[in-house]
Amino acid sequence: MKKYLVAFILLIQAAAIPDLAFAHGERAQQAGLRMRTVHWFDTAVSTTKLNVNDTVVVSGSFVPSVNWPEHMAGPDGTAFLNIGVPGPTFVRVDSRVNGMPMIRSTRFYKGQTYQYSITLKARTPGRYHVHPVLSVKDTGPVIGPGFWVEVGGSQADFQNTVKTMTGETIDLETYGMGNIAFWSLLWFAVGLVWFIYWLTKCPIIIPRYRRVAELGDKADDIITPTDKKVAATLLAVTLSLIGFGYFWAQDEYPITTPLQTGIVHLPEIDVSADREVDVTVADARYRIPGRSFELTLDVNNRSGKDVKLGNLTVANVRFVDPSVIDIKPADSHDLVASGGLRVEGGPIKAGESARIKVFAEDALWETYRLTSLIYDPDSRFGAMLYFYADDGARDYVEVGGSMLPVFM
Amino acid sequence: MTDTNEAAEARPKARSAVTTREQQWQVYKNIDLMAIPLIVLLFAGIFSFHFALTVGDWDYWVDWRDRRWWPLVTPLSLLVLPAVFGYLLWTKLRLPLAASVALLSFALAAWVSRVMNFEIFAGFPLNMVSPSTFIGLGLILDCTLMLTRSFFVTGLFGAFFFAVLIYPINWPLMAPFRVPVEYNGTLVTVADLMGYEYVRTAIPEYVRIIEQSTLRTFGEAVTPLTAVFAGFLAILMYYFWTWVGALASRAVWIKRIF
Ligand SMILES: [Cu+2]
Repeated sequence: MKKYLVAFILLIQAAAIPDLAFAHGERAQQAGLRMRTVHWFDTAVSTTKLNVNDTVVVSGSFVPSVNWPEHMAGPDGTAFLNIGVPGPTFVRVDSRVNGMPMIRSTRFYKGQTYQYSITLKARTPGRYHVHPVLSVKDTGPVIGPGFWVEVGGSQADFQNTVKTMTGETIDLETYGMGNIAFWSLLWFAVGLVWFIYWLTKCPIIIPRYRRVAELGDKADDIITPTDKKVAATLLAVTLSLIGFGYFWAQDEYPITTPLQTGIVHLPEIDVSADREVDVTVADARYRIPGRSFELTLDVNNRSGKDVKLGNLTVANVRFVDPSVIDIKPADSHDLVASGGLRVEGGPIKAGESARIKVFAEDALWETYRLTSLIYDPDSRFGAMLYFYADDGARDYVEVGGSMLPVFM
Repeated sequence: MTDTNEAAEARPKARSAVTTREQQWQVYKNIDLMAIPLIVLLFAGIFSFHFALTVGDWDYWVDWRDRRWWPLVTPLSLLVLPAVFGYLLWTKLRLPLAASVALLSFALAAWVSRVMNFEIFAGFPLNMVSPSTFIGLGLILDCTLMLTRSFFVTGLFGAFFFAVLIYPINWPLMAPFRVPVEYNGTLVTVADLMGYEYVRTAIPEYVRIIEQSTLRTFGEAVTPLTAVFAGFLAILMYYFWTWVGALASRAVWIKRIF
C-alpha cells in the first residue's frame, strides 16, 4: 500500500506543480532586451528588516523605453505592475502608479515617466530579493532592480483581515475553508457509498466479465433490482443535495458579484522640469577587450542651470561618476559601478549645446552579460542618462541606437 | 538448486489451489484487490494530467472560476475519461462506476496536489487553491446509465446535467468568495482580492480569462446561458468519447487485456 501511495503522490506531483517558480531573471534575458524595455530609477525599499505583519514599501519611477524592440508586444497593450518575491511570502496590500490603485492591469506609454509604490505585508519569515516587475502581456516580466529584505518572526502570527461590503470582517487566510471542507467531504462520502456498494459485490471483475460475455445481448440481466433501487436513491439524493446546497448558499450569501477585471487608465504626471536636456548620439561603440562602452553625444541643455552627466544606467546597471553624484550600492547585489563613468568635455552650460565623450567601464558589463549584446540579432542599445546641476537638480533623458563592437 | 526444487513443489500446489470453487473465488477476490486500487491510481494519474493540460489554472485558483469559461471548459474536459472508460466498464462488466470512481480518484488526487504543491510547497492559503467538487456529477452520469442502460439516454440527460449542474454544485464552495469588497475605491470580490494580495509573480492579473467574449448583452443571464450551452456540447462530447471507447474496446490489444 505504501508503494501505491508513493506512486500516487509522484503522479500527482508531476501533474500539477504551480507555475510560480520565479527565477532571478536579472541576467537571463538578451542584453538588448534588458537595455531597451524599462528604465527603472530611484528604486528604494522603506526598510530592509521587518517582522511578520509589518509592511515594507517598494517605490520608485520607471520609463518604458522609446527604443522598445519592435518584435515584442509593448507595455501600451496590456501591462501589470507586479512584484518579484518568491510566492506569497508577502501579501500585496497596496500598489499604485501615479497615485492610481493598481489592482487591475493598465497601459504604460513609451517614454512617459511613471511613479509607483508597492506596499507589502510580510507573511513568511526569510531573506528575499525583492524586485519591482512590470508584467507585459505577450512579452513577459521586465524585472527592476532588486533589494534584499529580511523578514523575522513567525508565520503563525500572520493575520490578514478585511471588511466586506456586507459588513463582515473576515480573515483571508482561513475564510470559507470550513465550507469547502464540509461540502467536499460530504460529496466524497456520497460518492464512496456508490463505490462501496459495488465493492461489496467483490469479486466483480472476472466473474462479471465472464457472465456478461456469456449472456451476450441479454447482459443487462446481470443487473439486480437492488442495483436499480440504489441507483435511483443515489440519483435522487445527488440532485436534492445539489439543489439544497445551491439554495443554502444563495440564502447564506445573498449578495455576490462576478469576478472583476478590466483595464485602468492612468493619470499623467508632469515631469517636464526634469526633462530639459536633449541628447543625440553621434557615435556608440563597445570596445570588447577593455569592457568599455564609449559614447559620443551632442547635448543640448535647455534648463537654466549648468549640468554634468553623473550617471548612465544600462539594464539596471548604474555607471556613476562620483565627482558629480555620490551613489553607493545599497547591498551586495545592488548594481552600482561607482567610478565606472568618465566624461570628457566639462559641464554643459545653461542654454548651450556641447559635444561630450562618455566612457562607461566596469566588470559589471561582463558579470551582467551585457557584452552579449553583440550576439543579439538586433545590436542596438538603450540607456538612461542622468544630468545633475550643482544644486542637485536632476534631468534625465533616454538615448539609444545602434552600437558597433570594437574587437581589438 | 534448492530454488528450482521449491519452485517445482510450489507449482502443483498452486494449481491445486484453484480446484475448489471457494478457492477459485478467493483468486478472483485477489485479482480485484490488485486491480481496483490500480484502476483508482490510474484514474487519478491520467485524470490529473489531462485536467492540468485542459483546465489548469481555471480550477487551481479561486479567482479564475468565472461565469463564462470555467463552467464551459471544465465539464467538457471532465467528461472525456468517464465516457471512454464508461463504455469499457459498462459493456464488458456492466459496472456503472467509471464516472464516479474517476471523479472520486481525481478529487483525492486534486486534494493531495493542492495541499502538497500549492499549500505546503508554494505557500498559498488552502482556501485560495482548494479544488472544486465534481463527484456528484459523476454520480448523475453513472446512476443514469444504470437506470436507463442506454448510452444514448445517458448522454441526453446524464451528460447534459453533468455540465448544467457544475456551477450549482460548486456554488456552496464558491459563494463566500464572491462577496464584494471595496478596495481602494475599486469594487472587487473576495476572490479577486486574494488573487491580488497573495503574490503570483508569474501569473499577472491580465492572464486570467474572465468572461472574455464579444457577447455581454445577456447581462445577468450569463451563467444559465453558459450552462445550457455547455450542456448541449456535453451531450455531443459524451457521444464522441463513448464512441472512442467503443473503438478502443474493439482494438485487439485491449481485448487481450480483458
Ligand atoms: Cu533578485
